[in-house]
Amino acid sequence: MSALANVVRAEWFKVWRKRRMFVLAGLYWLLFPVVVLVVARAIFVNLGDSFANDAGAVDMVMQQLVGPYGLARLMLLGPAYMSPTFYIVAVTLIAALLIGDERGQNMWKTVLVVQPSRVAVMTGKVVVAMLALGVLLLGAALSGALFGALGTLFLPTAVSGGAWGELLGLYLTQWAFLLAPVLLAFLLILVVRSGVLGVVMVLFLPAMLEALYGLITTISQLQPLNRINAVFQALRLRRAWEALPEYFFTANLYSPARKPLAGLVASFGSEVSAEVGDELRDFGPFGDLLGAGITVPHAAWVMALYALVFAALLYWTFLRRDID
Amino acid sequence: MTAIAAYDLTKRYGGVAAVSDVAFEIASGEIVGFVGPNGAGKTTTLRMLAGLVRPSSGRATVLGQPVPGPALREVGTMIEEPSFYPYMSGRDNLHHAALLHGEVPPSRVDEALEFVKLENAAAKKVKAYSQGMRQRLALARALLWHPKVLLLDEPTNGLDPTGIAEFRESLRQVATTGTTVLISSHILAEVEKIVDRVLAIDKGVLRFDGSLSQLLAQAGGQLVRYVVRATDGAALLAALGRLGYQARPQGDDGAEVEVPQQEADELVFRLTGEGVRVTSAAQHADDLESAYLRLVGVEGKPS
Repeated sequence: MSALANVVRAEWFKVWRKRRMFVLAGLYWLLFPVVVLVVARAIFVNLGDSFANDAGAVDMVMQQLVGPYGLARLMLLGPAYMSPTFYIVAVTLIAALLIGDERGQNMWKTVLVVQPSRVAVMTGKVVVAMLALGVLLLGAALSGALFGALGTLFLPTAVSGGAWGELLGLYLTQWAFLLAPVLLAFLLILVVRSGVLGVVMVLFLPAMLEALYGLITTISQLQPLNRINAVFQALRLRRAWEALPEYFFTANLYSPARKPLAGLVASFGSEVSAEVGDELRDFGPFGDLLGAGITVPHAAWVMALYALVFAALLYWTFLRRDID
Repeated sequence: MTAIAAYDLTKRYGGVAAVSDVAFEIASGEIVGFVGPNGAGKTTTLRMLAGLVRPSSGRATVLGQPVPGPALREVGTMIEEPSFYPYMSGRDNLHHAALLHGEVPPSRVDEALEFVKLENAAAKKVKAYSQGMRQRLALARALLWHPKVLLLDEPTNGLDPTGIAEFRESLRQVATTGTTVLISSHILAEVEKIVDRVLAIDKGVLRFDGSLSQLLAQAGGQLVRYVVRATDGAALLAALGRLGYQARPQGDDGAEVEVPQQEADELVFRLTGEGVRVTSAAQHADDLESAYLRLVGVEGKPS
C-alpha cells in the first residue's frame, strides 16, 4: 500500500477518536436543525392563525426555510453567516488536531520515522482534513433533509420541491473551496509552532487584513490631492486598489454557501433578486456582506490561486523543517 | 553489513556546532552504547540518524540507504520523552502507528503489548499511564514492525529500578533476534550491562569508539581502584593523604582510592607503615561510568 494511503488510513483513524469531532458534528447535524425547527414551530404557533398568514405567507416562509429542501439549504447558508463562520471553525479545529497536536504532543518525531515521506505525510493530512470536512458537509445536507422531513409532522411543510442537484453542487463547491483555508491553517500552525496561536491567526488574520484595507481606504480618501496620490491615480493603481475586495479571501471563500440567499429572497417575492439575479447588488451597504458582485466561477479561480500559494508555502516549510 | 553509519555528521545551530564531524559505523546485530554528558550531541546525532534533523554537512545511512529515506521504515525509535496521543488508548496509539507504517498485521499490536506486559492496560487512555507504562508502550511501538535497527535515546528515563531491569531484559530478548541497537542512556551502568561497544561523545565530538574493554583500558588501565577499611577511618584518610593519594570517604571507617598499577601490591603495607590498622582492602574492577568520567575529564557528568 502506498505511503499516502497509509497516512490517510492512520489519520482518519485518529481524527474520529477525538471527541471534538463528534461535538462539531453534533452541533452542526443536530443542534442547528433542532434549534431552527423549534424557532419555526414557535413562529408558526404564534403567527399561523394570525392575519400575517392570511395570504399563506407564513406557510410559504416555513416551506422555504424549514421544508426538507429549505432546511438542507439553510444548513449550507446559515453557517456562512456566523462569526466566525462554522466552516472556518471546523477547519481550524481539524487543523489543530492534525497539525497542532503533532507538535503539542511531540509526535512529529514518531510520525516521520514511521512514515519518512514528508510529502506523503502532509498530503495525507490534507486529504483527511478534506474528507472530514466532506463528511461534515454531507452529513449536514442529509441532516437538513431528515430534520426537514421530520418537521412536516408539526409544520406546514411538505417533502416535495427544490433544486436538489444544484444544492448538492453548491455543497460540493463549498467543500472544494475549503481546501484553501485548510492549507492556510496547516501553514500558520506549522509556522508559528503553536496550535492555539495558529488557530487564532486562522480565525482572525484574513478578516483583520481585509478590515485593514477598509481602514486604509477610508484614510486615503481623507488625504488632499498631492503628488503621491496624483501619481497613484495616474498609474491607474487606484482602480486596482478598488478592485482588491473582489480577491479577498473571506469574500470569495463563502460564495457558494451564500449563493442560495438570492434564490431564497426571490422565493419570498422580492423584486431585488428578480432584477439582479444572483448577485445581490442592490442590497446596498449589506451587499458586500452577502457576497454581492462575486460569482462562484470568479471565486473558484481566486480560491484556487490562494490554495496554490498556501500549498507551495506549506510544503516548502514542512520539507525544510527540523523536528526538534 | 553496516546497519548504521555516520559520515562526518555535523549540525550547526547558528554559528554553534552541536555535533562536529561525527563518524562511525555499526554492523548488523551490534548493540552499541552512546554516552556523553548533557548537551554533548547525543540526541542531535540520533535525530540526524532518524531523519528528523538535516545535517549541516556529512551524511548518514541506515541499512546502506541514505537518511531520510524509505529505510527508516525498518527503524524503531525511542527519542527522548515517549510521546503519544493522550486521548487515545495504548492499543489505539499502537494501531495508529501500525496503520501509518502499513505493513503491520493487526495481531502484532497485541503481541507487542504482551511483550511489554501492558496487555491489561491496553484499553486505558495513555493520559492515565504512569511514566514507566509510557516507556514500555514506547518500546512496544518501536518494536511493532520487527525493526532491523533500534535507535533508543535515554530509554530508561523515569523508570524505577524494577522497570529498568525489565526494560533491560526486554532489550536482551530483542537483541537475540539480531536487531541492531544504538542506545544512549544516562545510567551508564545499564548500558554497560547490555552493550558490546561504546561511542562516547563530548561537546559534539566523538571521543571514543571501541569495545567496553578498550574503553576501560584507555581510560583507567593504569589505575587500580581500592576500597580500604580500617579501625580508624579518620586516620586512614589522613594516611592516604600523606602517601599522596586522593581518597574519598566510604562510611565511617573506609575510603575509596585509586592507585597506580605498580603501587597496588604495596598499598596495605604502606598504610600499615603509617600506623593504620587495615581491616580489609578490596580491589574493584573499573566500570564504564568511572572510565567514561576519566575519558571526558572533570566536566563530564554522564547524562
